[in-house]
Amino acid sequence: MDAITIEALSKTFKGKRGRSVEALQGLQLSIPPGEVFGFLGPNGAGKSTTIKILMGLIRATGGQASIMGIPVSSHTARRNVGYLPENPSFYDYLTAEEYLNFTGKMFGMTGPMLHERSQAMLHRLDLWEARQRPIRTYSKGMTQRLGLAQALLHDPQVYILDEPMSGLDPIGRALVKEIILELKAAGKCVFFSTHITSDAEAICDRVGIILQGRLQCVERVETIMTPDAELSPGDSAQQSLEKFFLEIVRKGSH
Amino acid sequence: MHHLILITWKGLLRDRILQGILVATGIFLFIPSVSVLSMRQVGELAITLSLSLTSFILLLIAIFCGGTALWKDIDRHSIYSVLGLPISRTNYLLGKFFGIAGFLLLISLVLGLLASATIWYVSLTDPPARPILWTNILMALTFDCLKYIMVVAVSFLFSTVSTSFFLPIFGTITLFLGGNVTQEVYDYLQTPAGAALPALTKQIALFLYYLLPNFAVFDLKANAVYSIPLPANGILLPLAYSLAYCGLLLSAAAMLFTRRELH
Amino acid sequence: MKQALSLTLCAAFLLCLLAPVARHMQERPFVQRVGVSPQPAVMRFVTADQKQIFGALEVLKVLIYYGTSLEKAQQHQDIVHDFQGMYPLIKTATRLDPYNMDAYYFAQAILVWDMRRIDEANALLDYGMQYRTWDFYLPFFAGFNHAYFLKDYDKATFYYKRAGELTGSDLFIRLASRYMYEANQTGLAIAYLQTMKAGARNETIKKSFDLRLTAFMAVKRIEDAQAAFLRDLGRPAKTIEEIAQAGYLATPVIDPYGGTFYLDNTGRVRTTSKFAALPSNNAK
Repeated sequence: MDAITIEALSKTFKGKRGRSVEALQGLQLSIPPGEVFGFLGPNGAGKSTTIKILMGLIRATGGQASIMGIPVSSHTARRNVGYLPENPSFYDYLTAEEYLNFTGKMFGMTGPMLHERSQAMLHRLDLWEARQRPIRTYSKGMTQRLGLAQALLHDPQVYILDEPMSGLDPIGRALVKEIILELKAAGKCVFFSTHITSDAEAICDRVGIILQGRLQCVERVETIMTPDAELSPGDSAQQSLEKFFLEIVRKGSH
Repeated sequence: MHHLILITWKGLLRDRILQGILVATGIFLFIPSVSVLSMRQVGELAITLSLSLTSFILLLIAIFCGGTALWKDIDRHSIYSVLGLPISRTNYLLGKFFGIAGFLLLISLVLGLLASATIWYVSLTDPPARPILWTNILMALTFDCLKYIMVVAVSFLFSTVSTSFFLPIFGTITLFLGGNVTQEVYDYLQTPAGAALPALTKQIALFLYYLLPNFAVFDLKANAVYSIPLPANGILLPLAYSLAYCGLLLSAAAMLFTRRELH
Repeated sequence: MKQALSLTLCAAFLLCLLAPVARHMQERPFVQRVGVSPQPAVMRFVTADQKQIFGALEVLKVLIYYGTSLEKAQQHQDIVHDFQGMYPLIKTATRLDPYNMDAYYFAQAILVWDMRRIDEANALLDYGMQYRTWDFYLPFFAGFNHAYFLKDYDKATFYYKRAGELTGSDLFIRLASRYMYEANQTGLAIAYLQTMKAGARNETIKKSFDLRLTAFMAVKRIEDAQAAFLRDLGRPAKTIEEIAQAGYLATPVIDPYGGTFYLDNTGRVRTTSKFAALPSNNAK
C-alpha cells in the first residue's frame, strides 16, 4: 500500500465576479513508504492547495486522496501524519513544552512515553533552552523548528511538510535535511513542498514539478542528475535540478 | 476534545482579558455607596447593581471571547496546526466552545461570590424590605451564565461563516438585543392594540419570536432583587430551553464549519 | 523636546479650561440637567436584560436633580422646577422595573403635592400594586390621595383597608376614617406626613416631608386659634391679624415655603406660597 495516494485530484476556486480559478487539475500521484518526495513549483502553482487538501483543510472539487489507505476527508487519516504548515503558527500563549504535550495527547500519547519523546524532540530541534518560554517570544526559525518537533513527536508513518526550510538559518536547514534523511532511513514517507531546488536535490528520491495546477513531470532525482539523460536539455556536463526545473517552467509557460 | 478545552481555558486565563475583568470587579467596591442613594430600597438597589455588574461583565466576555475565538485562530494561522491533528472540525468547534463556556462558568462563580459579598455587606445596614432569598440570587446568576453561554453559541454560529470578527461581534450584539425584545413584542401582540396589527406583521413577529433565541426567559433579576418566589417551571423550562437552543446553534455551526474551506 | 513642550502647553491649556467647563455645566438650567428619557417602549428595547438598573438610574437621576433644586429653593433662588420632565422619567422607570419602590415613592412625593396630578399618581400606584402585592405603602398612598385630594371617601376606605390588611393593623383606617368623618383635611395631611416622615430614610425626602409637616402644623395652629376665637367671641375671624390681635396667636405663624398665610372668603387658611417651593407652580 502506498503511503500517499492522489487520484485525479482537482480543485476549482470560485473567484471574484463569478470567475473560477482552476488551482489543481487532474493531479495523479502516489508515494510509497520510505520515499522522500519533493514537490516543486513556483509560487501559486498549487503546492499548498494539494497539501491543504491532503490535510483536510480544503475540499477537492474532484478526484480523491488518501493517506495510508484512509480517505483524507476523515480526520482519522491524520493520525498517521506529521504535518508542518507553511509559516506555522501555534497558540502563542503556550510554551513549547505545553504545546508538545497538547499535540502528543491529541495523538493519544500518554504519560512517560509522551514526556520522554517530547524531551527528545526539544533537544533534537534545539529548543531545550526555550522550552518554558511562551511561543510568542520565539523567532521565526524557532517557531519553524517547533513545527517540526510537533510533526515528529508521535513518530508517524507519513510526513507532510509545507516549505520546511523557510525561515531557517543554514544551521537549521542542515538540521532539517539531516532529520529528513533519518526519517527515510527509518522507512518513513516524507512529502514536502519547496521552491528551493538545491534542497530537493540533496535529499529527495523523486521530485514532482507542478505548474499552474498541472503536474508537469515526476522524475527520480538521480535520473535528472545524470548528464546524458534524455530529459536534460543543453550541452552542459554540469547537470542540476535547478536547470531542469527552469527548463520545465519555460516549456510549461509556452 | 477535552485537551482542546483545557488549552482554550489556559489561553483565556493567560489573556489580558482577565486583567480587564479584575479591574472591572473593582466597581463592586462602589456599590454600597451608590446604593444608599436610593430612598426606599437600598438593599434592593445593591442587589440590582451587583447582578447587573456581573451580568454586564459576562456579556462582554461572551461577545468578545466568543466572537473572536475562531477568528483569532484563523487570522493567526494557528488553526492549521490544530486541524492538522486528528481532530474533527466538530470537535475542534466544541472544544473551543466548552473552553469558553467553562471560563464563563468560572468567572460567574468568582463574580457571583463578589456580588453576594457586596449584597450581604449592604444588607447588614440596609436590609431589603423582604428577606433576601439567596437561592433566587444563585438562580439569577446561574441563568445569567447560561444565557451568556448561549450568546457564545450564537457568536460561534456567526464565526463559522465569517472571515472577520465584525459579523460575529456585531451580529451577536444585534441578536442579543433582538433576543431580549422578542418577548416584549409577543406580549404586545396579546394586547388589543397588538391584535389590531395587520395579519402579516403579526405572522412575521410570531415567526421571529419562535426563531430567535428568547433571552428574556433567563432573566430572573426581578425575582432575585425583590425576593419574588420562583416557580419550578421558571427554572426547568429555561434550563431545557437553553440546552435545546445551544444544541441547535452548535449543530448548525458544526455543519457550516465542517464545510468551510480554510485557505 | 518639542513633544515635551507641546505636552506642557496642552496640559496647561486644559487645566485652565477645567474650571470654566465645570462652571458652565453647573450653570445650565435645571431643565437641561434632568434630561429626557426615550419612550418607555424604546427603553425596554435598548436596555435588554438590564431593565432594573436602568429603572433605578432614572429614579436616581430625578432624585438627585430634585435634591439640588430643593436646596436652591430653600436658599430662595429663582429656579425653574422641571416637574414636567421628572414625571416621564419616573413613569419610564416603572415600566422598566415595575417593582421599583423608589419610583412610586417619589412619584407620590412630587406628583401629588407639587404637581397635583392626582389621577396620574393614582394610575401609577394601581400599576405598582399589581406587582408589589406585599407592600402596604402603595394602597396607603392611594388611600390618602383619594381622601385628601379627591375627597372620594369610599375609594379611600377601600385602599386604607387594603393597606391595613397588608400590615395586619387597622391603625391607618381608624385614624383616617376619623379625619374623613370630620372632613378634617389638615388632620389627614398631618397624620399622613408623620407616617411618611417616620418611614423616610433618605435625607432629601425627609427634609421635604419636614418642610411640609411644618407648614401643616402652622396651618393647624391657625385653625386651632381660629376655632378658639369663634368659641370665645361668638363670630368668625375675618383675618389672621384679627386673631393675633385678639391674643390667640402668641407668636407670628411663618410659612416655611416663604409665603404669607391668609383666610379666604370661606374662612379657610390659605397661603400665598400654596405649599410649593416654586413660584411657577400654579396648583389647582
